[in-house]
Amino acid sequence: MKRRGRGMATMWYPIGFTVAANPSAAVVKVNEDGTATLLTGTVETGQGSLTILAQIVAQELGIATDDVHVVSADTDATPMDTGAIASRTTYVTGNAARLAAEKAKLTLFDVAAPLLGVKPTQLEAKDHKIVVKGFPQRNMHIGDAANHARMVSGQPPIGSASFNPETVALDPETGQGKPFGTYVYATQMAEVDVDDETGETEVLRIVASHDCGTAINPMLVEGQVEGGVSMGVGFALEEEILFDANGRQINPNLTNYIMPTSLDMPEVEVDIVDNYDETGPFGAKGVGEPTLVPTAAAIANAIFDAVGVRITSLPATSEKVFKALQAKREQQPKQLGTGPASLPSAPGNGASAQ
Amino acid sequence: MAEERSKVVEKPDILERPDILRPTTPAPLVTFPIDLIVPEGRQQTPAVGQRASRADARLHGLGQTKYIDDMYLPNMLFAKIKRAGVASARIKNIDTKEAEAMPGVIAVITGRDIPCNSFGPSLKDQPVLADERVFHAGDGVAAVAAETEQIAAEALEKIKVEYEMLPPVLDPLESLKLETPGVHAPSANIYGHKIIKKGDVEKAFKESDHVFEGTFRTQMVEHVPLEPYACIAHWDANGRVIIYSTLGRITLGRADVARTVGVPMSRIRIVATVVGGNFGGKNEIRAEPIMALLSKKTGRPVKCVYTRPEEFYASTTRHPLVMDYKTGVTKQGKILGRKIRLVLDGGAYCSWSETTLGKACILSAGPYNIDNLEAEAFVVYTNKTMTGAMRGFGAPQVCFAYESHMDDIARALGIDPIDIRLMNAFEEGSISPTGQKLHSVVVKESILRAAKRFGWNGLESGNGKGVKA
Repeated sequence: MKRRGRGMATMWYPIGFTVAANPSAAVVKVNEDGTATLLTGTVETGQGSLTILAQIVAQELGIATDDVHVVSADTDATPMDTGAIASRTTYVTGNAARLAAEKAKLTLFDVAAPLLGVKPTQLEAKDHKIVVKGFPQRNMHIGDAANHARMVSGQPPIGSASFNPETVALDPETGQGKPFGTYVYATQMAEVDVDDETGETEVLRIVASHDCGTAINPMLVEGQVEGGVSMGVGFALEEEILFDANGRQINPNLTNYIMPTSLDMPEVEVDIVDNYDETGPFGAKGVGEPTLVPTAAAIANAIFDAVGVRITSLPATSEKVFKALQAKREQQPKQLGTGPASLPSAPGNGASAQ
Repeated sequence: MAEERSKVVEKPDILERPDILRPTTPAPLVTFPIDLIVPEGRQQTPAVGQRASRADARLHGLGQTKYIDDMYLPNMLFAKIKRAGVASARIKNIDTKEAEAMPGVIAVITGRDIPCNSFGPSLKDQPVLADERVFHAGDGVAAVAAETEQIAAEALEKIKVEYEMLPPVLDPLESLKLETPGVHAPSANIYGHKIIKKGDVEKAFKESDHVFEGTFRTQMVEHVPLEPYACIAHWDANGRVIIYSTLGRITLGRADVARTVGVPMSRIRIVATVVGGNFGGKNEIRAEPIMALLSKKTGRPVKCVYTRPEEFYASTTRHPLVMDYKTGVTKQGKILGRKIRLVLDGGAYCSWSETTLGKACILSAGPYNIDNLEAEAFVVYTNKTMTGAMRGFGAPQVCFAYESHMDDIARALGIDPIDIRLMNAFEEGSISPTGQKLHSVVVKESILRAAKRFGWNGLESGNGKGVKA
């Protein structure tokens, strides 16, 4: 019989490298029509990081995401970057990109200020315009300012900047120090059905509440969470590289190394926890890696809740759960009759309530 | 070298059989609509907070994204790497003569041809191609560049390697023991150690109402990116090498290529192409130096694309962990002290083990206020596939342990799993295990929001109920 169970897991995860310097540099160039180019040494590896960086630069310059073209991943053309690792791109590269865009913007403000008859500090950039704060009708198009900067003032609006999270080395004896700039937090809850005759687990639903600071792009956050959950489901139930006695892999292929397909995926409900980190670009932190961290633990706890066996080694394959159920049955005295004594007294004892 | 190049003039029979060859020219062009429709999310201001679609979404959607496997440079060769297939051995001899004599084979190199045959992000313990010793079965021992991928694969069969087999160390707990032979002797098997100490754990256990213990283990898994590792190397007439690679970290990659190939950084250009998934598996060089050297030797561009099996045994994997937890609590569920020991199976090479060790150790107590803590972590060598960077760096492993352990404690005390976590969770200004004051902390918010969304109704929600099969 299939038995329903629920489980949860909570986690914390840092952004960036452990103590070690992991800087990013960036260059932002504003074109004469008010569009812009970002140069970054990071690499888009499928997560949408270049879109996030474009959004950060666009926000700083008051233009739209599509107005920013990102040139990336070429050691000849782009400034150094520690790269797509450690959930650091939004936070570290994002901070560098924002600072670079700010510098280019300040050049535009210097150019626009006399034209608008104010000081540069009285200006802000929004909706494709450079606007006098508090007097939105006094403005000029960012393209006009950028063109004036090049054609008249001779000050091309280009900014470059770098960012490195602040850390303090760990004491080798006690491990005390400040290893990371910031952390994110998350909770996932899993609903599963476990077949108590075969040990097979089906994950029905994952609710994932993730903190990423400001969600620069909620759609990409959802994408990261859904992808992370699928990795977490595989880590929890199926995936395992096996070795023979001589240390050779037995299953180095996708026929025998089982991982979840779309048919194995549970319903994933993504919930973004409102938060703002003052050290991140526009309050953002990151979300790449944490998305899979609590999934396996939540599923293992749900399996216990469903059938009362604690899986202490991953993956919780059907065979493993089946053997654990068998061992549990052998330990329990045979119950005679269906009197009150055999009814569930606490959750997770695996007795049927029907 | 001139001789080697001229060898290609006569086409071998195999080139006349297109049915067994991968196409050497790019796929025919597919036309696509030129008119751009920019999705609204990309046009809105303010830009932050918009559900802007990705800049590369259109290319992906139209099937126009070009990965390295789609790239073809004129006169390009294909390379294959011979894998050891034995976990631990001394290489007595490598005979490449027969392979070199094959029609269509242009160059063969071994570990002895690598100018500086070691790399690694922290310890430089990984050879580009194994020369004297094989440390795991996925080690490369020779590489062939040939006119086609098929010829290169056949040439691998003709390379004869003589091994003196050595007993492999496969179990991390065995490796931890002092009497176990060193995988990288004379270096010790324990190649990384981390400790975090706070308060007095033993005293806390004495003051606890209950002390719980548990041991948890996790397995080795692969990143399984859709696109396996790939790279093309090509020298131009100015003596610069251009490398197209699936690397996620080009700055570090260039430094590693400069060191291993012996070329100044100014003569190296690394271009990371569109990468079809990374998850940590593409964070350091793999075959870039091999392709650079094969290209230098032949004067032609050389491409290498890993097969799926190679992606499993010749790239990095996730560290398996053995995790011992001991936790003292009050009868209300407040954690007074926790002691943790982690043993990480580091596989054959260090790779990103230092980082994984550090993160696993720091995060191992969970997002909880624990005044008395002792966490100690070791990483050891084994003759298994190297473990390295993978999404989460040790965190999914320790989270499985501390959260399973937490549920065991909650259940034994008859407390709702939510309540025990809320009671112990970090809040704004909490001090982390390393003594860091935490900011923008939302552990409790995430728990409560998830519970609301999930419909978690306290202890009595009918768990374990039978459902219709």
